[in-house]
Amino acid sequence: MAAGLLGLGARRLLAVAATRGLPVAHVRWESSSSRAVIAPSAVAGKRTPEPTVRWQEDPDPEDENLYEKNPDSHGYDKDPVVDLWNMRVVFFFGFSIVLVFGSTFVAYLPDYRCMGCPREWNGMQEWARREAERLVKYREANGLPIMESNCFDPSKIQLPEDED
Amino acid sequence: MLKIIIPTIMLIPLTWMSKPNMIWINTTTYGLLISLISLFYLNQPNDNMLNSSLMFFSDSLSAPLLALTTWLLPLMLMASQHHLSKEPLTRKKLYISMLILLQLFLIMTFTASELIFFYILFEATLIPTLIIITRWGNQTERLNAGLYFLFYTLMGSLPLLVALLYIHNFMGSLNFLMIQYWIQPLPNSWSNIFLWLACMMAFMVKMPLYGLHLWLPKAHVEAPIAGSMVLAAVLLKLGGYGMMRITTLLNPLTNFMAYPFMMLSLWGMIMTSSICLRQTDLKSLIAYSSVSHMALVIVAVLIQTPWSYMGATALMIAHGLTSSMLFCLANSNYERIHSRTMILARGLQTLLPLMAAWWLLASLTNLALPPTINLIGELFVVMSSFSWSNITIILMGINITITALYSLYMLITTQRGKYSHHIKNIKPSFTRENALMTLHLLPLLLLSLNPKIILGPIY
Repeated sequence: MAAGLLGLGARRLLAVAATRGLPVAHVRWESSSSRAVIAPSAVAGKRTPEPTVRWQEDPDPEDENLYEKNPDSHGYDKDPVVDLWNMRVVFFFGFSIVLVFGSTFVAYLPDYRCMGCPREWNGMQEWARREAERLVKYREANGLPIMESNCFDPSKIQLPEDED
Repeated sequence: MLKIIIPTIMLIPLTWMSKPNMIWINTTTYGLLISLISLFYLNQPNDNMLNSSLMFFSDSLSAPLLALTTWLLPLMLMASQHHLSKEPLTRKKLYISMLILLQLFLIMTFTASELIFFYILFEATLIPTLIIITRWGNQTERLNAGLYFLFYTLMGSLPLLVALLYIHNFMGSLNFLMIQYWIQPLPNSWSNIFLWLACMMAFMVKMPLYGLHLWLPKAHVEAPIAGSMVLAAVLLKLGGYGMMRITTLLNPLTNFMAYPFMMLSLWGMIMTSSICLRQTDLKSLIAYSSVSHMALVIVAVLIQTPWSYMGATALMIAHGLTSSMLFCLANSNYERIHSRTMILARGLQTLLPLMAAWWLLASLTNLALPPTINLIGELFVVMSSFSWSNITIILMGINITITALYSLYMLITTQRGKYSHHIKNIKPSFTRENALMTLHLLPLLLLSLNPKIILGPIY
């Protein structure tokens, strides 16, 4: 699935080319529609002869190429079954569980910053904005004034009795 | 906190008792699940701390670092799977146990509420790291590297022990939640100057400060990939975290004492960035870039303004993910050509285009491209240091420019240009490597959508 920009077939070809050299033609073929010709290589042998000088960049003979035995290797292990399950486990738990559920959890974290005292700590700003928009929409729909000049409901204020 | 600590402790019997072909699968799975639990601590309701128990607490500063630590363990396991594949089984299990032990100590360090407890675990993290560097490093220089790493940190932290014991004697308790309310201003006297130095030097060495940074290139370069990842991503942040905690006790002397360290950091960030431009060794380049980024954090912590603390916290998390990703990329090169020299594997974009995409994104986050959290951190630090002193903007500006220069230099040398002759021997990228890069990059990009969780307690 996640085979990268090169397709699976292209990766296999690349892996084979890395180990066995490029594929060669055995017979000569000339195209009838163009001037293309594919011919056996003039150089004898399937791949370039081994260089007589060993370079540091040459593949280490002790290096195991995981693609040789298992061309579909995911890079975890030699055993194809363990390799496959390891890949599945990493993708499932890493992406599907932790990244997805974790991002959802973090995205829905409450608007903290001292929810008790919003004015001093700039808390609950997002809630305040949403609540204001909701109230404006409700009041406009019902014809009520958007805001009243009284901060508190005057009928609920109990004044002390007048003393003469 | 026990819901993270006990599963981490139980990872050790899990490695030793699993079937041989299941050790990596089991540990990676449970490591990822533990990191999911640690995300719960990001729900910090207010400016104060969430007190879990007598010994542990979590804060808006320590929760993101905790999440980073627990997220990094499965990534370290994935990165180490290839180079350990030839080792005998017991040695593989030992390596994994060292990583788990280090993770355990780091979790406890970031959540410790008592400062002596913090100190003991701070020192304890050195032991598994030393074992990982000296036993599983690749070159003979690893012994020297281990020595430098251990003794630099020990020399710095022994005065810290003395200072903490003195403060305990003086104040009555070192429980971090309580001493915040008991601190008295620290007047300027010789003994207080030495107290300040004793408290801060351990963290300065750990960050590292420019003059005391010699252990870092050695340790990062000689460590195996998991060692480099945890060193760069978490252990450096221990220094930043410790500094942010201990400066609450040291006011107002910090205003006076901070000058030499500010000078060293401001100059050092330019010096280490310039050294990066002349590096041939890829891991060494990334190590010096870590020094440069951490110098910004030191500047931020010493200025002690609200914005600088936000910038320092954001920069610590951002740098942790970026630096770890760069080390994984360097390791993917190393596993193919067995050399850290940059020019030996160049022009890789034509051969491994997906890996080139990860290289590009990692280099872009390293040079603090907007809108990543790297930029948020750096920008806040630059702005607050400008308000501290106008001249610092010149030095910070030069540093940002040189950071961009060496990040792009690293990208162009490894990815662009004509490939070398032996490139046909380079195997295609494994799914494991691509998954590793994505698991580093996705949290980084997701955090740029919601940075408020990493901006620390001052936000």
